[in-house]
Amino acid sequence: MPIYNPALKPLSINEIKRYSGLDKYADFPSHLLDQACTESYILAQPQATWQIYDYDTNKATIMGPHPLTLQAPKIIHYLSQAVQIAVIALTIGPKLEEQVSEYFSKGEYTSGLLLDAAGTTAVEVAADQVCELIKKQASQQGYLTLPRFSPGYGQWDITVQPSILDLANAHEIDLIATESCMLLPRKSITAVIGFTANQCDALICYSYQDTTCPQCPQINCLARKD
Amino acid sequence: MIYIFDGAMGTMLHNAGLPTGACPESWNIENPAAITQIHKSYIDNGADIIETNTFGANRIKLSHYGLQEEVSSLNIAAVNAARAACNPNTKVAGSVGPTGKLIAPLGDLTFDHAYEVFLEQITALHQAGVDMILIETIIDIQEMRAALLAAKAVTNKPIICQMSFEADGRTVTGTDPVTAAIILEAMGADIIGANCSLGPAQLLTIVEKLASATKCPISIQPNAGMPKLINNQTIFPMSADEMGTWAVKLAQAGARYIGGCCGTTPNHIKAIKEAIKNLTLPALPPLPQLHKTTALTSRSKTIYLGASYPTTIIGERINPTGRKQLAADIKAGEFMSVKKEALEQLRAGAQILDVNMGVPGINQAAAMQQAIEELSMLVDAPLVIDTTDSAALEAGLKAYPGRALINSVSAEPERLEAFLPLAKKYGAAILCLPIAPGGVPSTATERLHIIRQIIEAALCAGLRPQDFVLDALVLTAAADAKAGAEVLTTLKLYREQLGYPTTMGLSNVSFGLPRRDIINATFCAMAIASGLDAPILNPYDPLMQDTLAASAALLGYDANGRSFSMQYAPNNSPVETRSTEEPKDIVSQIRRTVLSGEKEAIIPLVEQALRDGISSITITEEGLTLAMNEVGIAFGSGRCFLPQVLLSAETMRAAFITIKKILPAHTVTSLGTVVLATVKGDIHDLGKNIVAALLENSGFTVIDLGKDVSTETIVEAAAIHKADIIGLCALMTTTMTQIDLTITALKTAGSTAKVLVGGAVLTPEYAVQAGADAYAQNGVEAVQVAKNLL
Repeated sequence: MPIYNPALKPLSINEIKRYSGLDKYADFPSHLLDQACTESYILAQPQATWQIYDYDTNKATIMGPHPLTLQAPKIIHYLSQAVQIAVIALTIGPKLEEQVSEYFSKGEYTSGLLLDAAGTTAVEVAADQVCELIKKQASQQGYLTLPRFSPGYGQWDITVQPSILDLANAHEIDLIATESCMLLPRKSITAVIGFTANQCDALICYSYQDTTCPQCPQINCLARKD
Repeated sequence: MIYIFDGAMGTMLHNAGLPTGACPESWNIENPAAITQIHKSYIDNGADIIETNTFGANRIKLSHYGLQEEVSSLNIAAVNAARAACNPNTKVAGSVGPTGKLIAPLGDLTFDHAYEVFLEQITALHQAGVDMILIETIIDIQEMRAALLAAKAVTNKPIICQMSFEADGRTVTGTDPVTAAIILEAMGADIIGANCSLGPAQLLTIVEKLASATKCPISIQPNAGMPKLINNQTIFPMSADEMGTWAVKLAQAGARYIGGCCGTTPNHIKAIKEAIKNLTLPALPPLPQLHKTTALTSRSKTIYLGASYPTTIIGERINPTGRKQLAADIKAGEFMSVKKEALEQLRAGAQILDVNMGVPGINQAAAMQQAIEELSMLVDAPLVIDTTDSAALEAGLKAYPGRALINSVSAEPERLEAFLPLAKKYGAAILCLPIAPGGVPSTATERLHIIRQIIEAALCAGLRPQDFVLDALVLTAAADAKAGAEVLTTLKLYREQLGYPTTMGLSNVSFGLPRRDIINATFCAMAIASGLDAPILNPYDPLMQDTLAASAALLGYDANGRSFSMQYAPNNSPVETRSTEEPKDIVSQIRRTVLSGEKEAIIPLVEQALRDGISSITITEEGLTLAMNEVGIAFGSGRCFLPQVLLSAETMRAAFITIKKILPAHTVTSLGTVVLATVKGDIHDLGKNIVAALLENSGFTVIDLGKDVSTETIVEAAAIHKADIIGLCALMTTTMTQIDLTITALKTAGSTAKVLVGGAVLTPEYAVQAGADAYAQNGVEAVQVAKNLL
């Protein structure tokens, strides 16, 4: 698939609040949130690429040029009815996180925290836009698509990142993984989307629910949705 | 008359034996008889127009099969195979599909490359004798623009432009049918329509919207319903009879060319033909509001200018003239400030943005291209390309995925000669500026005369009445007492005698006068009443905002003044959120200001306290530190949140800096030295930065080693700085074990510093197991734990 650089859709101030640890109803200067939102639009440079591969459910293997056999039970179960897989890599580039560092170095901690949260929101919004495009393309062939599932969800170990980046051809958007399997630039995401012939059954949906905030062991996470 | 297209080619090819994975166009040469037979079956079943088997016969698509050098031969063979099937009345449309890549900045294909690819294919189709060009299944308006430009460069034959829309009524890249129709008609498409992606039920609305926006005939080629996957095969379920029923509805909605796309067969075409055979179509309704109206669009939004529409604000701030910082940024190729101006002007009420890259000594064409690309990704407001440089104009028009307004075209021969062909080629509207050789006209009559000359030249160059916006030419009132009045007369004359939408750069009038805002706003109100439709102005000006809001209410564009009332009613004034109970003593005020995180307010308070003779120690301990302790407690109990804690910390920092500035000798006794690091392999440092900020503002000396820090560096820093505490952070499971290794190394090196750990994946249990002295789950807790450790 070609490189796709989605034009960012509007960012939710409530999501920026959530990622920064701010209660939705907290009394907080709105101009700081607006500033973070504006800066995020200016600094984020969303770039995405993805590839679509056949998926062998019996072997839990994505049939790319370097086939990837999945190991984590939840992702295997989640994809148990998928016939094809879109492997996605997306980044909003390094400029936003550089500005976050700049803010902290100048002692403008709040602006740094809020911009970081706006960056996270931007990554999610851009990823949703890419998924929407993939979903539309899949639907033209009669496929249904499952919600995206990323390394790190549901105990899918992030050590899989280099293989996922390879399958997505992420080098085309200059997205790499460090030796410790973290994405660089940091404000990036990888994910898979399963294509199914039919509506997935309740058990599959349940297994996706099992990866959402209420089930996550990171109970002190700032962005936790309860 | 309704013309019938054929149906799907791919489905028929596979039924005829084309192997899965083979290049469909290869059969044009390898098996032309099969191609001819498919065409013939469509003609036999009623198709008036057949489409060549060349949907993917462009260089980029063919390269997937190693056939990129066969573009010409495959297209020529396809036309020959089609022609062999034709009756005398059958027309052949040369099918041109997408490249499969997105054009920059949405993707990595350049506009020029896309243009060349289309040019090559369309040249072959034209030379092989097609009757028309059909550009189809395009999801990106920029790709359609490139293909249409290529087609116009090659042939005078009719060009059909069909986009693919989704169920939400837009292409996947965001263009709606009205916007697409306006852009494509202005660029010279002969027939505009849609195909693929949806079935006829979903495309019915698309036809209605196209019909409301263009005088061009409409073509529509739906899929046979929405696809389903059955036994791993994509099936389009709509029967031929159903398709026939829908064809009637599509025709009644305005379609004049009807065919089929994916899943349709000769039977579907036969059913369409039968269904519309005796159909009597009502005359299409006249296009609403398009007389003397000019539409501008971005990729995804259309704005109409004219007397029937509310006043539209064109933001003037993306202009480096007289703005050193903006000029310097543009010169440096840095467009952050341009983007910021765009967003802020829209927030202030602008609906269209003027873009001027007039910085001396730069490549204006390159700057304009970059600005237009960046802005078209950032905002959905239509853009005005403001330049005197024809290369910059073409670069901007080419890069813009919409219909821009050119600012400006005067009656000077060289400007007419250079700019009008570009406006025609790229489908832009023109801002007509009444300046002619011999000077600036001072009277309204002279301006009207010059404007007539420009319009006449533009119409001769192929532009249409809906391509004009007239400038009233604002001169400076300080230099010419009649300048303002003459503009108002000009606007009235334009409205009475020409009727086209009007604009003007409003703020010129006040140059050299005091309180320009009063003059500008007053002039704006007068001009709107005289017929001004789209002022070019500074949208940040509050008085101007008030004037525009009041004008909208007075001229009936704000029903019953509802918006005005919501904005200006006294009970909607900003609510005072600050406590009205001001503490009496200044140290308490300092404490309260830190609590509320008012960074700007703390500085004068600290200055006042020091002037009053209050010691820096008292300010620090009884004002600042006490406040931060309260913030910590509030955070711990869930009454305040991390951003609020950081605001307080910033306020405290501002207070410390103020004290230090006034009393350079002032020193605060450090609570201890903390060496902080995110461990090796971990590149996340937000949490560590927050901990550093809070520790520093709570009286600790912080040595921040950064992220991805090796064990050796941490051990060495602990010794050099005689650390009391070493703070280690890890965010991911893959780096968590570095915590253990670092603690072990510290102990081996004989460090006696306490080790405090934290990070998303760490737990108190893990901290104990790793040999840490303490664990903190967040920055606020880290401060308290650090204090306890010492």
